Amino acid sequence: MLIDKEKCVGCGNCVPVCAMGVISVVNGRSQVNQDECVECNSCYRTLRSEGLSPTFVRAVRWVLRLFHLEYDAPPDVCPTGALTPPKLEWPRVLRSEFSDPTVKHSSTGLGGRGTEEIKCNDVTGRLKEGEIGFAVELGRPGLGARFLDLQKVAMALAKAGVFFEPKNPVTHLMTDTKTGALREEILNEKVMSAIIECRADAGRVPEIFAALRRVAGEIESVISAAIAARCGPDGSVPYLDMAREAGFTLSLNGKTNIGLGRPRFEERQQAA
Amino acid sequence: MTNTLHRRGTHDSLSRDYVIFVTTASGINRKGSGPKMQRFLRLALDEGPVNIGVNGKNLITGGDPERMVAGITDDSHPTATFSNPEAIRRLVGKLKEEDLGISVTISALTDEVEGILRSQGIVRHSIEHCLAVLGRTERLPTQQVLEITSMCGHGCVSHNNARKMIDWTKLGKLTPRQAATYLARPCACGAFNIERAEELLTQAVGMA
Repeated sequence: MLIDKEKCVGCGNCVPVCAMGVISVVNGRSQVNQDECVECNSCYRTLRSEGLSPTFVRAVRWVLRLFHLEYDAPPDVCPTGALTPPKLEWPRVLRSEFSDPTVKHSSTGLGGRGTEEIKCNDVTGRLKEGEIGFAVELGRPGLGARFLDLQKVAMALAKAGVFFEPKNPVTHLMTDTKTGALREEILNEKVMSAIIECRADAGRVPEIFAALRRVAGEIESVISAAIAARCGPDGSVPYLDMAREAGFTLSLNGKTNIGLGRPRFEERQQAA
Repeated sequence: MTNTLHRRGTHDSLSRDYVIFVTTASGINRKGSGPKMQRFLRLALDEGPVNIGVNGKNLITGGDPERMVAGITDDSHPTATFSNPEAIRRLVGKLKEEDLGISVTISALTDEVEGILRSQGIVRHSIEHCLAVLGRTERLPTQQVLEITSMCGHGCVSHNNARKMIDWTKLGKLTPRQAATYLARPCACGAFNIERAEELLTQAVGMA
């Protein structure tokens, strides 16, 4: 994000809305730490431009100060419209693609952080019986992550024998899906979060759990790890015991695909 | 996309937090799905959602909900967020009855969802849980802040703004409802539960 120094009146409204906490007010003007900014545009989307003249705003504030008065602008405005989303070039454009949910990935044509995973598993059959899916998201919640850390985790998972989801935007950045290595020029790019999506046969799950625990101690950010599967015919959850035996406590909440998609994967298989 | 997973909170608080959305599969059932997704959101609107999301706009930023419905295309991912499990139960019943043929996902307490589905004669197809949060967890903010900010899974509701809204609510500069509405603005998917945020902010004031 860029801030127009001619327009900025230093109201500071953009400081708290910055999802990465990298905007500060220096000498009466907001400034962005460009190395830490993930180009999520949250500030731009949150703060409505009032379109006021900077000269007018500064004059009003100067007059108010004479009378020892202050004016708190509503917390969702940029009085002068000083926030300016820049046109981004490779590889910095990855920051926006992985951080702003309204921007689509140039690699996949999809928005958001990953793929549809279980959301249409009833139709795609992506996760089949006997398979366990993982969505390993780095940087969430709210810390951000660099691709260097993503590479460490991807390589650890690759060694544990996972299959990386081909349509996932992180997979698209790999130079070798057997090792999990990413393109060299992107490693210092920082994003709000990015998801490594992969799957494996249930037998490999203990090894994957161990790999996740081990590599978590080697990164600068956090991992929000999710586990997914196709339910049994009675709606049972195949990975409950695996997680418990490994010492993980699953969340009380989660996502449930309720199976109303058509045609069902099995129907398509039979038709083929 | 795990944007509705990893929501933090107590069992009691999460029992008033339901996100429901539809998804289509490219090359299988996406083409021509726009009207079906419009129907989904119309049915959802009848049940009084606390937030909705369509094409990067939510209930706060999107204007008239009917216009949001009209803007749904084959490539949209409409979402509706509820506080009331009975509304979800009714909506699931209607969706089963109408058989729109598009995949429906509910993000909420999994046992509650299982109960709702069984009451409608539905067996869940696939499921996803948060396994763990690992790594430099000491860098994370307090649980109070995370319970609010984790309702935007894309991380667009900042920890610092949640702290500011908690402070402003405590100071009486904003009501919990006003603060919750400000916080909801950047959540492009409409998954931010404004009513639950209001409840959490009210609790925060009580702790002052």
